[in-house]
Amino acid sequence: MVKICLPVHEPKKIFVADDDQDILNIIEMMLRSRGYEVVMSSNAEELFACKAEDLPELILMDIWMAGVDGREICGRLKKNKLTSAIPVLFVSANSQIAAITEDCRADGFIAKPFEMKLLLQKVQEHLHASMQAQTCDQISQD
Amino acid sequence: MIKGDKSYNDLLTRINELETKLDESNEIIESIRRGEVDAFIVQNNGTNEIYTLRSADKAFRLFIEKMNQGAVTIGDNGIVLYANTSFAKMVDVPLERVIGQVFLGLIPEAQRQPVSQLIAAAWRDKESRGEITIPGKEGGELPVALYLNQLEIDGGVALGIIASDMSLQKEAQEQKREMEKKDEFITIASHELKTPVTSIKGYIQVLQFNFQQQGNTHAAELLGKVDAQINKLTALISELLDARRIENGQLPLHFDRFDFSALLHEIVEETGRLLPQRLVVEDTTEGVQLFGDRNKLGQVITNIIDNAGKYSPPSSKIIVQAKAEQNILALYVKDQGIGIPRDQQQKIFERFFRVKGKKENTYAGLGLGLYISAEIIFRHQGRIGVESEEGKGSTFYFQLPVIRGENLSASA
Repeated sequence: MVKICLPVHEPKKIFVADDDQDILNIIEMMLRSRGYEVVMSSNAEELFACKAEDLPELILMDIWMAGVDGREICGRLKKNKLTSAIPVLFVSANSQIAAITEDCRADGFIAKPFEMKLLLQKVQEHLHASMQAQTCDQISQD
Repeated sequence: MIKGDKSYNDLLTRINELETKLDESNEIIESIRRGEVDAFIVQNNGTNEIYTLRSADKAFRLFIEKMNQGAVTIGDNGIVLYANTSFAKMVDVPLERVIGQVFLGLIPEAQRQPVSQLIAAAWRDKESRGEITIPGKEGGELPVALYLNQLEIDGGVALGIIASDMSLQKEAQEQKREMEKKDEFITIASHELKTPVTSIKGYIQVLQFNFQQQGNTHAAELLGKVDAQINKLTALISELLDARRIENGQLPLHFDRFDFSALLHEIVEETGRLLPQRLVVEDTTEGVQLFGDRNKLGQVITNIIDNAGKYSPPSSKIIVQAKAEQNILALYVKDQGIGIPRDQQQKIFERFFRVKGKKENTYAGLGLGLYISAEIIFRHQGRIGVESEEGKGSTFYFQLPVIRGENLSASA
């Protein structure tokens, strides 16, 4: 069977969770400059109240947020059928970020302080990979 | 039977003989009990058979006598039947005055209540354990763990008590806790320092991007320089954390497969911003895959190139050469700088070391970079080194195994 992956042109929605307002602003500016739609949150809990059609295509999330543990949120997202396929990238200054990413089965990480170029590159890579997987999935189901 | 009768005298002789034998036997048993007998010789059908007690009994006695823990046996009347020297030292009473004493009498008054409870528990439940504090040397306190165990001896019962000096364990635990506290502090401090740096770096990069879009290359270039300085600050924060981790033997590495050439070019681009037109790259490693911690190896390359820049004249060239031969990948960074005296060439990989000489004050840094680099390379089963001549320059290099095949296990 030949797998055909269709390009999708509508703006991608990215959910950014960090308890530092400056970092939210910076990531928002970086992503908007490349045409992404950005939803910001100081507390990733909103994700669990989202309707299926409002869910983001990718999640960027801090690990230590005030009152919230990013690892726990990631675990819940990965267990939930509705959200398990959404790529989760940790963005954190935690020195154990690589190990935590692996433990939580997150899709990747960006260590703070980060290079804008690297952030945009990782976002693009993971969106592309997940889009391919989904499109191919749909075609094979059809 | 009449006195003087032959059979009467015979019997008397016989009784005397038996009495002598009984005395001898008692004496032998006493000697065995006192541990004075190492072997018996038994006559059997005209041959002598030797039965030795040395291997079993004496070895155990010596073991108990010499062990660091205090060992005591007490009878059901609470009297000490046996004690070793370690116990006598613990309670600070001569050994010969310990045996035959009431055990509780040897325990400081304040601790008699808990100890008598432990003894009662051991009689009831066959064993018991607990911890007490007794006066130690120089007015200090000695934490002692007690283990009491019922023993069956000579048909009766006794209590065996092992007393372990816990001060060393306590000290080790205390040190471990102290170290963990320091580690936690360093981890939190590094996180807290990096957070504002992330904001500064982020805003700078957004501004730089905007200036570039507007065609203001001069402003963008200046901001690029600010960004490079921020990277240096970040590297210093990471160095402090890494050095601390190495000291504790727990520098975490994250092994993965990656393209070395791509990493090298990223680092050259980044370090090159502070060394404009100075880096000359000769890379023939295209397509070579390494299995290792990409970020940490990037840190090593950055460190070596930064050092070359720091210790050589402002416009001199720095040659960065990467090649892979057979299963070894090598990176050489050659500068035309001040060089390193021969006697200091090995020491430069030590912690806090900076090359001595009149020019040393010109260069800032923590003296941790090469120490960390060496650790990272060693953890990748690689080699790191330097060839240098004073006044002519240095070549720093490292070699790493190129791992081929899929069945790799990380030695992280």
